[in-house]
Amino acid sequence: MKIASHLEKFRRLDATLERLDPGSDQELWIWTAMNAGVHLLNAALHACGATTESDSFHSQVEGLYAVPNRTSGTLHDAMHAPGDVMHAGQPPLVAPLRPGIERASLALRTIEDLRERFVRGSERADASLQRDWRAAYATCIQELRAVLDTGGNER
Amino acid sequence: MNADAHRAKAEAIERSLAKCTPADYETVIEACMLAGTHWFNLALHAAKLLPVDHDAMHAEFLTLGQRRKIACVLPAALTALDTIESLRTPYVRGDLPGGAQAAERTLECLAELKRAAMHSDTERSTPSRSA
Repeated sequence: MKIASHLEKFRRLDATLERLDPGSDQELWIWTAMNAGVHLLNAALHACGATTESDSFHSQVEGLYAVPNRTSGTLHDAMHAPGDVMHAGQPPLVAPLRPGIERASLALRTIEDLRERFVRGSERADASLQRDWRAAYATCIQELRAVLDTGGNER
Repeated sequence: MNADAHRAKAEAIERSLAKCTPADYETVIEACMLAGTHWFNLALHAAKLLPVDHDAMHAEFLTLGQRRKIACVLPAALTALDTIESLRTPYVRGDLPGGAQAAERTLECLAELKRAAMHSDTERSTPSRSA
């Protein structure tokens, strides 16, 4: 997807996240933080040239994209080089990533790894874990914003 | 995961969903997928289509054989979850116009999944009550 669209989606998801609580809204907080982080990650990856800014959307199947026909509003499947990533490291990227994006991806993976236990499973997080999750999200966003603020040229 | 746990998870996600507005359409669609999948699993377990120690993650990734059985017993629920999942790529990961309308559609699908789960669970528990 285009950088502008990723940024628009990130801003909307980030604003929604502000209204959610990692304790009482555990499942949706995790999911929304993950989606916000993935959109900002895609914007940063496109900005620094690690992936291509294209008019296609990642599907639920790794490496498979949906390409929109903007006139008819229909989609068709396509396989091409990234493109958007679905999650940090999915699909894997060949080129080495900039340090800021590596740090952001690590933080994002912390949130993504919560899905099985805390969204699909029944575990509940205590206050300490919730603080860790907020910190991981903040790190992810801060690192990616730094990349984007320098036009993708962050070192 | 057992029926009570699926119900508790689905209801918790629905309470969070109530904090969203139509403008939060990406989150609405995702919440409907998450809560709807818990209702879907409750229905599958109640109908003995999947054991309680084996949950479906996405309808799209069920085997063809599993999908054929579910389509036979719980067709409306399968269609509802398929619909929700099909709207994620264009409106959550993608930027097709009409996100708010897509979110409305997922809310209708979530209601259908909840109905199917409640119905299946009632069917399951009725014989034991009369025994």
